[in-house]
Amino acid sequence: MRTKKQIEQEADKTLNSFDGLHRAAPQPYLFTRVKARLMRKEKNAWSTAFSFLSRPTVAFAMILIALFVNAFLFFEFRAEPVQASGEGAQMFANEYNLTDNTIYDSTVEPE
Amino acid sequence: MVYNTAIGILQSAEDAEDVAQEVFVQVFESIHTFKGESKFSTWLYRITVSKALDHLRKKKRKKRFAYVQSLFGADNQTIIEKPDFNHPGVTLDNKERAAVLFKAINQLPENQKIAFTLHKLEGLSYQEISDVMRTSVSSVESLMHRAKNNLKKWLTEHYQNND
Repeated sequence: MRTKKQIEQEADKTLNSFDGLHRAAPQPYLFTRVKARLMRKEKNAWSTAFSFLSRPTVAFAMILIALFVNAFLFFEFRAEPVQASGEGAQMFANEYNLTDNTIYDSTVEPE
Repeated sequence: MVYNTAIGILQSAEDAEDVAQEVFVQVFESIHTFKGESKFSTWLYRITVSKALDHLRKKKRKKRFAYVQSLFGADNQTIIEKPDFNHPGVTLDNKERAAVLFKAINQLPENQKIAFTLHKLEGLSYQEISDVMRTSVSSVESLMHRAKNNLKKWLTEHYQNND
């Protein structure tokens, strides 16, 4: 059984155990792996674009924009008054004497 | 420098290599954003620390998810406890103690962990650490003081329990 002082000394020793520590060095092929990773990234420009679009924030923002545009168009079209469709056709028919379409429609003057 | 910082924070050689690769790729891609307002090494440390922390958080998330899955019996995989980490640069006579210290460092809050690791493993001064962490020197001093206190407390308890 150690005394409190001994335990504290032990803890201090452990606290100073990093003294004289050497730097850790990576494996020698790290540069090759970084290079390979960069080349792989260059090839995958499309996948980067897709991954950007599939980010939750981007996807959610796009859905909101689409909904907003839809709502805007819906209310814009609904607000327009419906034009009387026959008016234009009648004017056109009058202009080109197309009002008497059949023999039954024409009026024959009594002799 | 990058690898040594990453291995100190992550306490895993494989993860540190992955993060080192990510850091260099990030540096290559965003070198144009480096404006020279701080030292290049500070910028590099900043990227390394943030990448290492991201990696740690991701790992913790995965671990938590696996734990929840195991609770519901969705996965029969057993959760393997991480073995003690042995830093490759530690001298042989300090190996055991250093492993205990790394275990203790893992219990520290993120900021204290970063400050302690950068100071003890990388040998950065408080001024340099404050540049990397974007805080004042007095904040770093306070972080280091609290980190040492917490570590001592944890180590004392550890040795009491293992007595």
